Amino acid sequence: MRVPVKLVEKASGQFVDAELFDEVTEEHLLLAEEQWRPMIREARRKLPPELRPRNAHWDWTSKDRELALLANTFYAIQLADKIEGLMKVETVGHVCRLPEQSRKELVYIDYVETAPWNIKVLMNALGEQPKYALVGTRLIEAAVRQSFEEGFKGRVGLHAVPTSHDFYIKVCGMTPVAPDPNKENLLWCEFTPEQAAKL
Amino acid sequence: MTPQKKTMTLNLTDQEMRVLDELSEQKDLSKTALLRQALRLYQMVDARLARGEKLFFEDDQKAKAELMVL
Repeated sequence: MRVPVKLVEKASGQFVDAELFDEVTEEHLLLAEEQWRPMIREARRKLPPELRPRNAHWDWTSKDRELALLANTFYAIQLADKIEGLMKVETVGHVCRLPEQSRKELVYIDYVETAPWNIKVLMNALGEQPKYALVGTRLIEAAVRQSFEEGFKGRVGLHAVPTSHDFYIKVCGMTPVAPDPNKENLLWCEFTPEQAAKL
Repeated sequence: MTPQKKTMTLNLTDQEMRVLDELSEQKDLSKTALLRQALRLYQMVDARLARGEKLFFEDDQKAKAELMVL
């Protein structure tokens, strides 16, 4: 699957064309690591502890053996030769926790990451401005779309790190359910079918 | 968007069909979606066991029982 998506170039405020696809290969993961991680580490060194990203240690190349599993789908957004965002979702092993949809199937967002040049706090630490907006939104939309296609009616869940609570709850409209003691107390957030349809 | 799919005929006993109906109802899924989920789960468990991991069920007393999958 390859579909065109629109991002917003922050400097001009104009829409730009990018491509969303789920035919992610080991090469895409490697490319993202090469393009992203050095910049994230450099920005991290310049940030106070409370603003340091928690994903500095992530390594997408370590997930290459998961590419072959039917339970996983990897998504990427690419613009020219740059990977703008990556997401890994799982369709088994997780169920809904909201009482009204308890134990129903959902698409679980295991990892989602935007290129560092699109993250304001990182770019400000480097004395620059973020490049594109809407990368995270386009990836969440893809997860919701997959949920509808799987017959899960838009139900999506994830563990949110503190710095992204506002994005998932206020921007995307997910319900904050509860901190998960089995996952570093990260906040479990969930889409109901009604919320997903509004995204 | 949706990948191309192939059709197959599946022969099930009455009991198997009854379980499929019940699970589909409980999970709010079509029978096709439920069987697709079962295949994904089976492949994931098999792959993780193949690389030496173990699968356990834990009861409410925290007792663990290892699940052996053929």
